[in-house]
Amino acid sequence: MNDPIMADMRSEYSKSLIQLGHDNPNVVVLGADTTDSLNISGFGKQFPDRFFNVGIAEANLVTISAGLAASGKISFASTYAIFLPGRAVDQIRNNIAYPSPSGKKGLNVKLVSSHGGLSVGPDGGSHQQIEDIAIMRVIPNFRVFIPADTVSVSKLTQLMASEYGPFYMRMARSKVPIVHSESQEFKIGKGITVKDGSDCTIAACGITVRMALEAAEMLQQDGISCRVLDMFSIKPIDNEILEKAARETGCIVTTEEHNILGGMGSAVAESVSESYPVPIKRIGAQDMFGESARDSEIHLLLEKHGITSFNMAKQAKELRNKQL
Amino acid sequence: MGLNYYQIKKNVLRARKLVIKATNTAGSGHPGGSFSMAEILGCLFNKHLKFNAQDPQWVDRDRLVLSKGHAAPGLFSNMAVAGYFPESEIETLRKFGSRLQGHPDLKCPGVEFCGGSLGTGLSYSIGIALAAKIDSKDHHVYTIIGDGESDEGQVWEAAMTASKYKVDNLTAFLDRNFIQQDSYTEKIMPLDEKLDGDDISEMWKDASRWKTGDKWRSFGWNVLEIDGHRVEQIDAAITKANATKGVPTIIISRTIKGKSLEHMEDNPQWHGKAPDSDVVPIINSELDSQFLISPSIIAGDMSNLENEVKRCVTGRSDLIHLDVMDGQFVPTKTFDHIKIKELRPLTVIPFDTHLMINDPVKHVNDYIDAGSDIVTVHAEVTDESSFGEIHDILKQHQVGVGFAINPDTELPEWSYKFLSSLDQLIVMSVIPGKSGQKYIEETHSKMSRLNSILNENNFSGCIEADGGVNLENIGSVFADGARAFVGGGAIVGQQDVRSAIKDFRNVVLKSRRRMLLDKANQLGGSDLVNKWIGLHVIGTKQEEIKKIAQECGYL
Repeated sequence: MNDPIMADMRSEYSKSLIQLGHDNPNVVVLGADTTDSLNISGFGKQFPDRFFNVGIAEANLVTISAGLAASGKISFASTYAIFLPGRAVDQIRNNIAYPSPSGKKGLNVKLVSSHGGLSVGPDGGSHQQIEDIAIMRVIPNFRVFIPADTVSVSKLTQLMASEYGPFYMRMARSKVPIVHSESQEFKIGKGITVKDGSDCTIAACGITVRMALEAAEMLQQDGISCRVLDMFSIKPIDNEILEKAARETGCIVTTEEHNILGGMGSAVAESVSESYPVPIKRIGAQDMFGESARDSEIHLLLEKHGITSFNMAKQAKELRNKQL
Repeated sequence: MGLNYYQIKKNVLRARKLVIKATNTAGSGHPGGSFSMAEILGCLFNKHLKFNAQDPQWVDRDRLVLSKGHAAPGLFSNMAVAGYFPESEIETLRKFGSRLQGHPDLKCPGVEFCGGSLGTGLSYSIGIALAAKIDSKDHHVYTIIGDGESDEGQVWEAAMTASKYKVDNLTAFLDRNFIQQDSYTEKIMPLDEKLDGDDISEMWKDASRWKTGDKWRSFGWNVLEIDGHRVEQIDAAITKANATKGVPTIIISRTIKGKSLEHMEDNPQWHGKAPDSDVVPIINSELDSQFLISPSIIAGDMSNLENEVKRCVTGRSDLIHLDVMDGQFVPTKTFDHIKIKELRPLTVIPFDTHLMINDPVKHVNDYIDAGSDIVTVHAEVTDESSFGEIHDILKQHQVGVGFAINPDTELPEWSYKFLSSLDQLIVMSVIPGKSGQKYIEETHSKMSRLNSILNENNFSGCIEADGGVNLENIGSVFADGARAFVGGGAIVGQQDVRSAIKDFRNVVLKSRRRMLLDKANQLGGSDLVNKWIGLHVIGTKQEEIKKIAQECGYL
C-alpha cells in the first residue's frame, strides 16, 4: 500500500460547521473550553451569535444544546469524548434522547466528540474514552457514527445536519489516513465495503479501517481474500452487509479502539448471531484502561491491546482455519 | 389591568383539588412540592404566561420549564384548569397509556420540558432563551427550580452561564420550601446559614438567616425575595423581573411544602406520597376553607391612613379593607378614590375596596384606576342593570367583583344570576356607617339562609364578614361560612396589629379544625377521626387537634 495522506479530523469538522453555518441559520455550535482544541472556535468567529462556550461544564453544555434544539435550532455540541458520554450521560439521555416532540424521536442535537479511544495517547488512561460506543448505542433514539477519515467527517457532519434527531459522532485526536474517495457516499445504517473479498471479513471503524486494509493486504500475500468493511454507522448497524459477509466469507474479525465489551464488535456479534451465525473475533481494548503513550508510541499502546494489522490478519487466519 | 387576585385564587384552589384527585387516583405522586408552588403556577397560568391551550405549539408562546419535575401533578392540574385537556383526564396520571406521565413529558402537548432528573431545567431554559434571542423573539422563559435540586452542581453551572450571556428573557423561581426527599434541606445540604438544633421551623421565621439570595446575587443574578404563597407578591415580582434588562432574575420564593393542608405543611413525609381515599373529602373541605383577614383601616387614625396601611403590612394582613363612605349612603364620610390612589404605592397587598356610596356605577372606574383589587358595591344602591354594568367593567379590568348587603337587606332575587361569577359577598353584621359597633347576632341565622341560596346558584366566591367581628365571635362566623373577615377595632384598633391578626388566624384555625373533625366523624366515625388526627405529625398540631376532638366527644 502507498503511504497514506494524513489529515486532521477536527479541522475538517470545523470547516464543515462553517459551511453549515452559511447554509443554515439554525445551526448553532456549543463548546466547553475545548473550542480551540476542537477548532470549533472558527465557527464562533464567523457566527458569534450562534456560538456558545459554556466553560468546563459538560452537563450544562449538553442540556443547553437540548434547550436550543427544543426551540428549532440544530445544535452541534462538542468536546472530548471522555467528557461527553463519559461524563454527561444523564443529560444526554434525559435532555436529548428522551424528550420527543410530537411525531419525532429525541431532540435535534448532534454530539460530536474528539479524542476518542486509545489513540488519545499522552494524556493517558483518564482521557482515553473506550466506553462511549457502549454508552451511546444503548440510549434509544441516538444514532452513532465513528468516522474513519476526514472524508467521512465532512460527509457525516452534513448528513447529521440534514437528518433530524440526536446523533453521536466520535473523532480521533491525531491525524488519520484518508481511506475514502471524495465521491464515497455515506448513508445512515449502511456500512461501506472498502475492499471486497471472499475468504474472511474484517469489520472496522475509525482509525482501524486503514489497519484492516493493511491486514487484508498481508492476507492477500498468503492467498487469502479478505473483505474489509467500514462500519462507521454503529447504530443503526448495517445488518444486511453483515449477513452478506457472514454468508459469503464465513467469519468476521471486528476491530476498534474501544472496549471489546459493548462496542462495534458487540454490535456486529449481536447482528450476525441473529441473522447468520459465524465465528467472530473481537479486537479492541481488552477490558482494561489505556495509559499514556507519546505520539510516536501510540502504536505500542494499540499493540498492547492487539489493535494491529498483524493481529487482525492473524485472527482472521485463525478463524478461517477453524472453519476449514 | 388589575391583579385578578380572586380569579387566580379560585384557579389555584381548583388546581390544588386536582392534585389531590390525581395523586389519590394514581396511588403515588408528589403533592407536597405541587402545593408549595401552587400560587406561583397560579400567577403564571392566570396572569403572566402567554399561551394558547388550543395551539400548544404556538411559536410566540412563553415557555414554562418545571425543573423540579416531580411536582408534575401541580403542572398538569394547572394545565387542566387552563384548558389544555379536560379536567377528568387528570385521573389518568401515572397510568399506562396516559399522556400524564409520572414526570412532565412532551407526550402531553403544552409541556415544554421532560423533567425528572433534577438540576437540568435551568440549563435547558437557557437554551430556549438563547434561541429566542437568536431569533429576535420576545417570548419569555419561566423556570421553576426546587431547593432540594439546588444540591445539583449543574444548577450553578447554569447560573453562571445565564449571567455570562445576559439571559434577561429568563425568570427563574426558587421554590424554597425547605424540604427534600430525605428530610429538611438544611439538614441534608444547607443552602442557608447552618441551623443548630432541631427546630427547623425557626429557620423560615428568621429572614436574617436566608443566604440563598446572596448565592444567586454573587452569581450575577437580579434577586427578588418574596413570600411564595402571596399572589400579589408573586405578581409584583414577575412584573419587576420582566422589566429588568441585562441580567437574569431569580425570584426566591419562600414557600411551605404541602401548603394549605395542615397535615402536609412542612412535613417531609408528603414529599412523595398520595393521600388515602377516605381522607380526600376532608382534605377538600380544608382546601375550601382557606381564609383571609382584611383589617379595616378606618378603625385607626383617620388623619394618618398611610401609617394604618403600614401597620397592616407589618401585621401581614391578607387584604386591606378600605371603607369608602360618602356621607349620603351612610351618614359618615371617610375618603374616596383619591386617597386610595395615594395609599396604593405603599404596599402590594390587595385593596379590598368597599363602596358605601350612592350611585356606585358612576364611580367604579375611579376605584379601578385608584388600584383596587376588588370593588364591592351595595345591593341597596344598585339594580340589575347598574350592577350588571359594574360587574362587566370590573371583570374587564381583572378586578374582583363584590356585592354587599346590609343587616336588614336580603339578597335581592335579581342578583342570583350574578352569584356564580361573584368574587365576594359582604354580609354586613353591623349597620354600616361607623366603626366600633357590636356584631348583630341575627346574622348567624341569616348566613344559613344565604348559604342555601348561594349553593343553589353556584356561588364560588368568598363570603366576607364585616362588622363587629372579634376574637369571641370569629370562630362561629367562620362556622357560618364566612371566609374573609374584616377586622376594625379588633385588629386596627389594637396596639399590635400583627399579634391581633395572628390571634384572629388562630381562632379561625381552631374553628376550622373542629369543622374538619366533624366531617371526619360524619364520614367514618372515631376511626377516621383518629386517622385524621394521626396525620398531623408536625409540631404541636396533633395535641391541639386531639384536644378539640375530645371536647367534641369524638374520642
